Amino acid sequence: MSTLTKYSAIPYTGPAPTNREPYVPATVAASDARGQEIAARLGTLTLEQETGLDLPTFIVAKENIIDVLRALHDHKELAFTLPLDLFGNDYPGREKRFEIVYQLYSLQNNERVRLKVRVGEDESIPTSVNVFQAYDWYEREAWDMYGVRFDGHPNLRRILTHENFQGHPLRKDYDAAQRWLLTDQGVSTIIPKVAPQYDEALEESDFERVTLNLGPSHPATHGTLRIVATLDGETIVGADCEIGYLHRCFEKMSETHTYQQVIPYTDRLNYCSAVINNVGYCMTVEKMLGIEAPERAQHVRLMLSEFYRISDHIVCIAANLVDIGALTNYWYLFQPREEIIALAESCSGARLLPSYLRIGGLAVDVPDDFLANAQRIVTSLPKFIGEVEGLILKNRIFRERVDGVGVISREDAINFGFTGPCLRATGVAYDVRKASPYLGYETYDWDVPIAEGGDTYARFLVRFEEMRQSIRILQQAIDRGLPGGPVMVDNPYVALPPKEKVYNEMESLIYHFKLIMHGIQPPVGEQYFQVEGGNGEVGFYVVSDGTKHPYRVRARPPCFSIFEAFPKMITGQTIPDAIASLGSLNIIAGELDR
Amino acid sequence: MTITRVSPGVVKIERHAMTLSERAYLPQVVAGMFRTIKHLLKNLFNPKGLPIISYPEVKRVYSERFRGRHILTSREDGTTRCVACFMCSTACPAECITIEAGEDQRTREKFPQRYDIDLLRCIFCGYCVDACPEDAIYMTRDYEMAIDTRARAVVGLRDLVVPPNFPVGPMGWRPYYGAIEKHGTAGGTGIGQPLRDAPFEDSDPPNPDVYRGA
Repeated sequence: MSTLTKYSAIPYTGPAPTNREPYVPATVAASDARGQEIAARLGTLTLEQETGLDLPTFIVAKENIIDVLRALHDHKELAFTLPLDLFGNDYPGREKRFEIVYQLYSLQNNERVRLKVRVGEDESIPTSVNVFQAYDWYEREAWDMYGVRFDGHPNLRRILTHENFQGHPLRKDYDAAQRWLLTDQGVSTIIPKVAPQYDEALEESDFERVTLNLGPSHPATHGTLRIVATLDGETIVGADCEIGYLHRCFEKMSETHTYQQVIPYTDRLNYCSAVINNVGYCMTVEKMLGIEAPERAQHVRLMLSEFYRISDHIVCIAANLVDIGALTNYWYLFQPREEIIALAESCSGARLLPSYLRIGGLAVDVPDDFLANAQRIVTSLPKFIGEVEGLILKNRIFRERVDGVGVISREDAINFGFTGPCLRATGVAYDVRKASPYLGYETYDWDVPIAEGGDTYARFLVRFEEMRQSIRILQQAIDRGLPGGPVMVDNPYVALPPKEKVYNEMESLIYHFKLIMHGIQPPVGEQYFQVEGGNGEVGFYVVSDGTKHPYRVRARPPCFSIFEAFPKMITGQTIPDAIASLGSLNIIAGELDR
Repeated sequence: MTITRVSPGVVKIERHAMTLSERAYLPQVVAGMFRTIKHLLKNLFNPKGLPIISYPEVKRVYSERFRGRHILTSREDGTTRCVACFMCSTACPAECITIEAGEDQRTREKFPQRYDIDLLRCIFCGYCVDACPEDAIYMTRDYEMAIDTRARAVVGLRDLVVPPNFPVGPMGWRPYYGAIEKHGTAGGTGIGQPLRDAPFEDSDPPNPDVYRGA
């Protein structure tokens, strides 16, 4: 038990730090029961169930995985239609060292399931591209990172690392400091596959086909993205995307740092809404530890998340409008963004990448003029948004640039694993904040905006409305006022003691020293937690082996699936249309490449 | 554009068909021009309301927790407070702090013989300040760190140590005491906010000769 309970609001009840036994949350029984139900529904297919700490978890034999995925997808009542994630894990001590994890989501029942396939070093898994199109890139990533082969994959080449790269970096026996140089000779040429409807033999065209390289350094590709398009005249008949230019080994680096040190790294995933990534990561680790941040910290987290969501949408809308030639809006929108960033700076001391959260709460309390400044921004925001809406939404030039451009159907969007505004623009009302509320979102009065059509215009409409809804949430949060109390849990194994105690008390100094040198040591186990980011579901999957370093940190990047569908969205359209729709997807390279 | 509630908690945005005036291009173009000209005139006659800070003549005010360039504080006798305990370099996620410890022959105390921060590696997260048990490393509000060579990005004791009784009042990210109130400013674009010169006077740089650790 904690002896530092003088400021305590929440007495420490979690596991002791030397406890290497898995911490079992109270919800395990319910999720296990649900897992048994799911297994029973599938009937003939037998699934081996594992006690998942957060989700119903199954171990599936690799021969059965396609059948199981298809059964889960096609089942009328279960309907696990949204592929959330696919990634690998490496446990060199095991007989079958690799574990490929599939995570699916059911829009119908609002539930998740996790499937694990265990394979040895030389084994391969049948590809699931035919069930979920999204898994094309995810499987390439698993191959790139772990060297697990996927039989029948149409295009199993490296995705995040480059062509001259040797080995598979996320394997545990791979040295984190190893570097490989990419030379000119190593760069491969990408020839996009032409869509079947534009097959040369079938089509009569007067034009010679041209392959155009867009990016990675191009003013219209925000971030280092490379799009290779084959053009017939002005029509894109086939396209391919290359990513990985901003790969900074987030997942490998997390394994070499302590839990607290990963927080600045998560800032740099989606750098337009850094606080939301912090929230996702910190809450995942807090779930592993069985602790909860104090009310005051949660309130500030919610407010900053919403401010950063608005800022994220502002960047997306403003930059997208610049791409299609409407520069004025950029100036009008960046003024409120500057105010939002200044608010974050007044709390954390840094503007774009605040690193303000800590596991267990916040780094410091907010300044005492926080609410007043928040109110000032919230009051002025509708004016700026209205100004831009007035400039563009009724303008025919704008309408014709975006109406029916970059269309993705609802079925495709779900099958590609879209989340966030891009999914909502196809008419699916899935928002993590509503579906599985965190930070008390369920106590606020707000709506999830959806639109029909799935085109660039619909994405604009959804983003504009989402900003208004965020303002609604913020206004309610300001009206409620900040709850009193501390901003950090009173748990000496998680939170640094206040400095005056460190200077004056031996015990606090020891705790301080232990926490810096030996870090937070969550109990053994795995945990997945998701938050609604600026462009979709940001999920963190963390595995702890009881030491100070995370055994595995997996970030689910929302724009990975979205960018994967980009070639499909632009095939049959022109290059200017591709530019217009690329901006509306809000691809953040930091998050895409990690 | 109409917004209708389709189910509890879900609103649907319907796109509107273009009206006659929208289809005719010109009225909306003129309306847009009117909007931008309104801004132009407003700014022309009220330049003070412009969300502009004329850097470098005017510098913006950052909050009292701004995470800028680091300093190492000194005790009143002029020795540096740092005891080379390596807590900051352990806590640093970017691994940018290099310390070599020495022992003072007279007092038998540890002190840093070398303390280098690679500012190009540093991500200004403030973890070193949080980790320090000796009140030795602070971050200032100095954000002007332009350099011309990579070698100059590595700052050592000469650049970091400040004299004793150095005014730390208006300093940036400092150790969090819990009870101390720290006022923030959300200066933003600077409208209606006080602006002042550089928080760190250029004419008063940290004096390297004061360091007498050895």
